[in-house]
Amino acid sequence: MALLQISEPGQTTAPHQRNYAAGIDLGTTNSLVAIKRSGQVETLPDEHGNHLLPSVVHYAEEDILVGHTAHELQAADPLNTLSSVKRIMGRGIEDLSSLGNALPFDFKASADSHVPRIKTRQKHVSAIEVSAEILKTLAHRAEQTLGDELSGVVITVPAYFDDAQRQATRDAARLAGLNVYRLLNEPTAAAVAYGLDQNSDGVIAIYDLGGGTFDISILRLNKGVFEVLATGGNSSLGGDDMDHAIGEWIMQQAGLGDIDSILLRQILIASRKAKEELTHDSQAHIEIDHEQLKVSLILERATFDELIADLVKKTLMSCRRVLRDAKLDKKDITNVVMVGGSTRVPLVIEKVGEFFGCKPLTDLDPDRVVAIGAALQADVLAGNKPEQDMLLLDVLPLSLCIETMGGLSEKIIARNTPIPVARAQEFTTFKDGQTAMAIHVVQGERELVSDCRSLAHFELRGIPPMTAGAARIKVTYQVDADGLMSVTAEEESSGVKADITIKPSYGLTDNEIETMLRDSMSHAKEDIDARMLAEQKVEAKRVIEAVDSALSQDGHDLLNEDEYAQIVSARNQLEEMIEKSTTEELKKAIKDLENSSEEYVARRMNESVQKVLSGKNIDQVDV
Amino acid sequence: MQVDLQQNYFELFGLPVDFQIDEDLMHDNHQKLQSAFHPDRFVNGTDQEKRLAVQKAAWINEAYEILKDPVKRARYMLEVGGLHLNDDHETTGDTAFLMEQIELREEMDQCRSCSDPMRCCDHITNKLDQRSKEYSADFEAFYQQGYMEDARQVSKKMQFVQRILEQIDEYQLELEDDIN
Ligand SMILES: Nc1ncnc2c1ncn2[C@@H]1O[C@H](COP(=O)(O)OP(=O)(O)O)[C@@H](O)[C@H]1O
Ligand SMILES: [Mg+2]
Repeated sequence: MALLQISEPGQTTAPHQRNYAAGIDLGTTNSLVAIKRSGQVETLPDEHGNHLLPSVVHYAEEDILVGHTAHELQAADPLNTLSSVKRIMGRGIEDLSSLGNALPFDFKASADSHVPRIKTRQKHVSAIEVSAEILKTLAHRAEQTLGDELSGVVITVPAYFDDAQRQATRDAARLAGLNVYRLLNEPTAAAVAYGLDQNSDGVIAIYDLGGGTFDISILRLNKGVFEVLATGGNSSLGGDDMDHAIGEWIMQQAGLGDIDSILLRQILIASRKAKEELTHDSQAHIEIDHEQLKVSLILERATFDELIADLVKKTLMSCRRVLRDAKLDKKDITNVVMVGGSTRVPLVIEKVGEFFGCKPLTDLDPDRVVAIGAALQADVLAGNKPEQDMLLLDVLPLSLCIETMGGLSEKIIARNTPIPVARAQEFTTFKDGQTAMAIHVVQGERELVSDCRSLAHFELRGIPPMTAGAARIKVTYQVDADGLMSVTAEEESSGVKADITIKPSYGLTDNEIETMLRDSMSHAKEDIDARMLAEQKVEAKRVIEAVDSALSQDGHDLLNEDEYAQIVSARNQLEEMIEKSTTEELKKAIKDLENSSEEYVARRMNESVQKVLSGKNIDQVDV
Repeated sequence: MQVDLQQNYFELFGLPVDFQIDEDLMHDNHQKLQSAFHPDRFVNGTDQEKRLAVQKAAWINEAYEILKDPVKRARYMLEVGGLHLNDDHETTGDTAFLMEQIELREEMDQCRSCSDPMRCCDHITNKLDQRSKEYSADFEAFYQQGYMEDARQVSKKMQFVQRILEQIDEYQLELEDDIN
């Protein structure tokens, strides 16, 4: 359903064209792609039959290798083989120290960018570029399978991802040349995969325990609408901690104190193997053969359960918290869905079941469920499902705040507020003739700005000069359906919009992305320019078509003659320009038409609100 | 954006201006409205459509947030009823109420030294939940009879209770942080 575009029931405006869409799970350890074909959703394998693509990228002298081939080179060439970069998406150089030796790469801060680069033999790359390589590989796999280009993708992100991490993911997709319909939260995707499968309404909890993170979300499912009620978790808690717990136990058994990092790595690999064995067996054998340590141990399931008891308890504390946020009681939960590799651990299933008082659902493969949900959503968004009865309503995972006096944070939008959301705040000037001001936006729950994540500094300019305290500057913070924030500002008494310059704390600037795009494409500059012009032409035609169809429907009902004539004139102007203008000129003409039809579109929306609730079903509404 | 300012949030959601709301209908209508205006419905639309859809969906969510929350709903109803509320300058002169608040706060402080603070918090929370139910009933009665000033007083108490509940929440978060 388009806002301006109207199709009468039974009348098709264009020959139906199938849009191909894919769902991508861009994971820390592994990534996957899924598509929906002939009513079936499936994850896609590579030519060797592997569905999981290790999230590893190897930079050789000239080539870039992704996935299994890269993974195989990791031991031999660790510094040029990048893995787990999801952990540094949207992070600054100073955050990297907290990751310790988990990521052994050679990080470089660069003077003119806030995004850390990793030094490889080929070039210095950011996590965004590495992720783009993974996305390209998966999109290519889907296109090979479909035999056609993808019109759009849905990419999943952890629910707790902040604005910077989401923006980084979007940027990666842009570099990969993908049209992103939506960033979808992983637990929501899992709910979709289960919900549509089981076709059951109610309130469900999604418990997602991965390698390094824990996510818990509560959703209400009602007639195809998935409404996230609250989300929470712990971004540094997961299977890796279980490995460490076993590792410590091994060292204790062997009476070891300080050890070097190579031995530690061996111990952790053995620990992980033992942990995974204990999923099926009641005991695991641990053999380590190192000059400093030769042991052969047996780890009982019961001992393992004791080792991880605290960790599991911590996750249940988060569950309790999120229930409170959702204003619900344990017994309101009708189903618990288990997602993530670590939910294979029997103690986890047992304790979660005990906590919620029901048997957790584990029938879908926890590795694939997220990609499957994303593919289902992608298919709906592509417009292939005319009834469009599925809708996903998400929330803001972390509060949005601004910095106030003394480095304190003031909440503007609280966590778990449904998105999209907009909140306005009024400021005034404190000096005569003041024309600029700055706002620092952070995300998090803590009182001190320094304990929250810095998102961006916004500089407002062009405020009309007035005496101190006379200007009324309304700043509006908006979060879209992807969880991405934007800021606009207006001086209310004059109606003058302020110019805003954004300085992202940890993101790429538009210029950087442009440069990367140009670098990554082998095309000459002319090709890229031609592509941008072609895109503007398509957009121009789309806008004209939308306006024509709206005007013929209700233009004379909702507009007076002057207003009508003004829109038509802007429309004709644009049409005339399509074939003989530059990209910039076209952009401006589109903007002009949009400006003259803004009020009209708003009226149409208000009209349609009435119809939505008046009992007609949504498909009949001429929006 | 231009939204229909004549329309209040209750009307937007097809509900009567009444404190007792039909929650199922509210949820249903929220879904219907979002089904029509959510940006996901415009991923193939023009940039303008996308932008407006975000604004419209945000506005619907704003209404939803206010209708859903009894305290915000009560305050909003007073505004719809023509009262100008100024949060900073409002106090309550009800001493019995103030005494009770002080007691509750003391009880909360004692929680910190008791053996099972989580359960202790739950206990206070239950008590407060009971209180807010009573206040809600009072508010409704006053509002319906047109005693706006009394309704405003009660809404103030509802706000106090909610604030303490939030503090308990905050405290529980601290407890969790300690354990984690
Ligand atoms: N059979 C198993 N038993 C226990 N843990 C497992 C098993 N299989 C995988 N895992 C653990 O799952 C984690 C990876 O989960 P995954 O959901 O893929 O993580 P992420 O989403 O963080 O990349 C690792 O810690 C791995 O050891
Ligand atoms: Mg995962």
